[in-house]
Amino acid sequence: MLKQFFKNILKISWLITALVSLSGFVLAQEIVLDKQADLEQVYLKSNESVGLLPMNDLDMEFGYVLYESEIQVDQANSVLELEHVRDYAVVFVDEQLQGTLTDGRKKVSLKVTPGKYKLKLYVENIGRITYGPEILDNSRGLFGSVSLNAGEIENWTITPLHIKGLDVAGLKFNARRESSVPGFLHGNFHIDHPKDGYLDISGWGMGEVWINGKYIGAFWEEEKQQSIQVSADLLQKGQNEITVFELKNSGQKTMKITDQPVFK
Amino acid sequence: MNNIKHCYTFLLAMLVLMPFLSARSQTHEIDLSGQWGFQTDVMDFRRGSLSPRYNHKLQETIQLPGITDDYQIGYKVPYRYIDRLTRKYEYMGPAWYQRDIEIPAAWKGKQIFIYFERTHWLSSIYVDTKEVSKIDYISVPHNHDLSAFVKPGKTHRITVCIDNRFQYNTHKWDHAHTEFTQINWNGILGEMKLVAVDPVYIEDLQVYPNINEKSIRVKMEIINRTGKQISGDAGFKVAGKNYNLSKVLRVSGKDSVIHFEGTIPLGKQIKLWDEFNPNVYDITCQLNTSTDQAKYQHEKSVSFGMREVKQGKNHVMINNRPVHLRGNVENAVFPKTGHAPVDDAEWERIMLLMKAYGLNHLRFHSWCPPDAAFRMADRYGIYFEVEMPMWGRDAEPDEARYNFFRREMSAILKAYGNHPSFVLYCNGNEITGNFDFIEQLTASGRAMDERHLFCGSTARTRVKSDQFYVSQQTNKGPVKVYEGLPYTNWDVSKQSDVDVPVISHESGQRAIYPNFEEIKKYSKSPVEPRNFEVFREQLEKNGMLDQANDFFWASGALTVVEYKAVIEALLRSSKSAGFQLLSLNDFPGQGYASVGILDPFWDSKGLVTPAKWREFCAPTVALLRYEKSAYFNDETFSADAELYNFSASGLKNAKIKWWLSDASGKVLKRGNLPAQSLGTGDVFPLGKFSFDLKGHHQAEKLSVHVAVNDSIQNSWNIWVYPRNQQIMESTNEVWYTRVYDEQTKQKLAAGARVVFCPIPDQVKGRKSIFHNHFWNPIMFAWPPMTIGCLIHDKEPVFNNFVTANHTDWQWWDILNYAKVIELKDAPGDLRPFIQVIDANDNNEKLGIGFEAKVGKGKLLVLAVDTQKDIDKRPATRQLLKSIDAYVKGNQFDPKIEVDPDFINSFINR
Repeated sequence: MLKQFFKNILKISWLITALVSLSGFVLAQEIVLDKQADLEQVYLKSNESVGLLPMNDLDMEFGYVLYESEIQVDQANSVLELEHVRDYAVVFVDEQLQGTLTDGRKKVSLKVTPGKYKLKLYVENIGRITYGPEILDNSRGLFGSVSLNAGEIENWTITPLHIKGLDVAGLKFNARRESSVPGFLHGNFHIDHPKDGYLDISGWGMGEVWINGKYIGAFWEEEKQQSIQVSADLLQKGQNEITVFELKNSGQKTMKITDQPVFK
Repeated sequence: MNNIKHCYTFLLAMLVLMPFLSARSQTHEIDLSGQWGFQTDVMDFRRGSLSPRYNHKLQETIQLPGITDDYQIGYKVPYRYIDRLTRKYEYMGPAWYQRDIEIPAAWKGKQIFIYFERTHWLSSIYVDTKEVSKIDYISVPHNHDLSAFVKPGKTHRITVCIDNRFQYNTHKWDHAHTEFTQINWNGILGEMKLVAVDPVYIEDLQVYPNINEKSIRVKMEIINRTGKQISGDAGFKVAGKNYNLSKVLRVSGKDSVIHFEGTIPLGKQIKLWDEFNPNVYDITCQLNTSTDQAKYQHEKSVSFGMREVKQGKNHVMINNRPVHLRGNVENAVFPKTGHAPVDDAEWERIMLLMKAYGLNHLRFHSWCPPDAAFRMADRYGIYFEVEMPMWGRDAEPDEARYNFFRREMSAILKAYGNHPSFVLYCNGNEITGNFDFIEQLTASGRAMDERHLFCGSTARTRVKSDQFYVSQQTNKGPVKVYEGLPYTNWDVSKQSDVDVPVISHESGQRAIYPNFEEIKKYSKSPVEPRNFEVFREQLEKNGMLDQANDFFWASGALTVVEYKAVIEALLRSSKSAGFQLLSLNDFPGQGYASVGILDPFWDSKGLVTPAKWREFCAPTVALLRYEKSAYFNDETFSADAELYNFSASGLKNAKIKWWLSDASGKVLKRGNLPAQSLGTGDVFPLGKFSFDLKGHHQAEKLSVHVAVNDSIQNSWNIWVYPRNQQIMESTNEVWYTRVYDEQTKQKLAAGARVVFCPIPDQVKGRKSIFHNHFWNPIMFAWPPMTIGCLIHDKEPVFNNFVTANHTDWQWWDILNYAKVIELKDAPGDLRPFIQVIDANDNNEKLGIGFEAKVGKGKLLVLAVDTQKDIDKRPATRQLLKSIDAYVKGNQFDPKIEVDPDFINSFINR
């Protein structure tokens, strides 16, 4: 009975495969990202500063910066508040993700017990000039104040991250382990016939992707667009490699290559 | 003789019958332009004379078409607005317009409409004492149906309320109704008329070209008010240059709205429409129908072009050919009238300007122009992108606003959809809010009308139904180009290569110092640049009024340098669908952005001729990739030539030449690249050439030229300099220093000549940058708030440094290593020889280099880093060489004295 059931299943799946290939669709190819590299490898020279420095003061037009400071949490449900976020910040306390912030959402409740911690704010600026009556300056990154329960946090270590324009071949990867902090991930995948396609990044947080060492684009879970175009000339017959920088680190293990752009 | 008599009898019979026939079968119109009764209603509470309920006659009069501003109605503005042109008389509220109109008795049995081509933005019609119709479109004509409310043969008091208050909570900046560019006027513009038609009439006629089959699909919405079965003929006539065709199709139906569809083959003679061959055809449908009792006739005409638009891989495809959009952002900038023109003549002028400046595209930013704009774009071959009044948070949930957008989009598609120039539709600008709503709008637009490509929003979240994308960036990186670079071996091709064609958003935006001569152009306008008066007074107070014109010319020349570089970078980007320059003309709002090479009246500022502009912005442009603009004379110039060709055809066996000329135009070197046949619709490599720069012992400005078939020419300035190994060598007469120390002071006191080059980090003042300010200093008040430099090029200090009175790319390695000294406390007569132009709302004296007498000493200050990367900065070395020759010669004799402490005032200690 069970044997018959499996036989039927096999038949059905064979039928589906045949139908799919007849209709010209190809099943999405899954890519497993099984290696990782620590972010420290792309730290640029750090700046020490009492107050926050916007990216403008770090001579960056856009890109990623890590803002770090020691904090003393005195009570449960302490609230961290940023005055300005341009354009996106991921909040970690030690190695624990607390949430993501944008200029429209600048408060987060910290899920930690009282104690001393390292606050880490990973910030991206996408480099556009935003028009609107509400924005009259051109500051990027973090500026103004960061406060914890209304007390201002000072003494920052501000480290630009070399991610835009990075040569990913120089990264050193190890086997992947459970981790919640931002970093690089790597995977290999096989292609028989290179053709134009799209990398489906659904489920991932925010970051950047390289295929075979070439930069292909950025992703963000809050966009409706959930894919990055991969042109055939980037792919090679046989073995290919993918490198992903994931800022939020939602713990995803795989990405897919599909025929059509993906929107949610 | 007999025959003639018969003829007379026939003609006489015709004359007798004519009024009857026409009354029965034709459309009638009464022009409503002229004098109307008028009353303001700032109370919005039916002031005494305003209650239509009592059929009161309005006391004042106004001429229509027109706007209240034309008659000085409203609040007489005493202020001088800084961030925009000042409207002389502001009016926002309901205003009442009235006329007693006799409805001809002959209109019995007809459908009667009152039609206004454009109003702002709610119009309500009262017939005698009763409100009968309300329409609130902002982008299309208002056509009120009065059939049920007026009686042929009777005189009715028609009272119209025009309310230009915000009918929905839309962004105050939307160009459809903004005070920033066109004003939020109150009035009625364009055609205004009463129209009577037979009760069976064509409400809508849409033409869908099929270029493969050389046919059109015609869709009509026929209104049948008879309540009976009708049948008859739809007689179509298609007419164009050397083309006439007639086709009769049968029509019948019983419903009140009859949807008619038919196909008309157009034959081999029909021609396609595109920017190069803008063949426009008129189609007229004469609808002759009858019921068992009566006959009806109605005619409707529209124009169309045989063109199809498709989404290509990287380009918009017109008739299956890729086009590259060279566009300008149009923001309803019409200070002459305070409203967009509705006549052909003014729009014809604008389309001819587009052609003159090599452009083929206009984006209407958060507004949609009137029909005349489309008509003229059809005629001259310009591709339009039109939008709704939608910007910023306009997509945040608000059902009334959402419904307004839904109606407005359908109305735009219906009113202007036949125009071949209507190629792209986008909902609006930089939208935030609910993108499910944006996707829904975009998808429904696509489903409604396949004659255009659709896009959800410029420069924000992508949606699934996007068929193109206008943005500063894609998920592959930035595609914006706001400024040039002193090298050209770059592009934004890779970043533009995504799943839909990508158009670079709002390119350019480099500020020019305002030209105060423009003030006098506003005497008859509803607006005037009172901000210019404020700027000018401030400049005068700061003792530099005599330099206003120089500031305008020098910053304007820099903007032209930037735009050439910006546009060429975008033309080198073969995978870009195009660009939209912000803008060819000035934008007089948002702080007043004087970024155009044309003023707000679309008149040239005289900064660049159209012919010169077309060398780098045209359907075919010669391009050059090279790695720098400033060279030492022992280096080699090498470059890759390319041809951007999006013209109508390829070039067969094209001859490709390059040459190098000096400042006098003398040709120094020349060469040929292999002749080749080049296609169209792409950027093609032409080959590589190089030459050494030996023999240029003096600093020189040279021009590299590339010509393809002689008719296509472009050129680039490069500068060559000797190595100048020895610089800044102190002698007994001249003391070079980087610090203003006791020794320096003593030297000055002793009457020495001193060249002081402070380390920029130690100078109080502003950051020095090559580019002039982005957009304008009021909206984006970010440092350093400078608008380029005025170089006092005739001063002897520049005798050995080749420069115009404005900065060009040779200044890159000077300005990027400099600091701008604030000189407001310097003596009024002191004029820096490298004078930095301050923001026009601040107008302080700024400089990088100046000279002065200090006691008995002679001092020259140059706030430029003379050490960092100095081996790679040939222009800085040459400037120092020129300064050296000057200070060691007998012309160095500063006239203006400064106090020794003044020097300390701008040095950090």
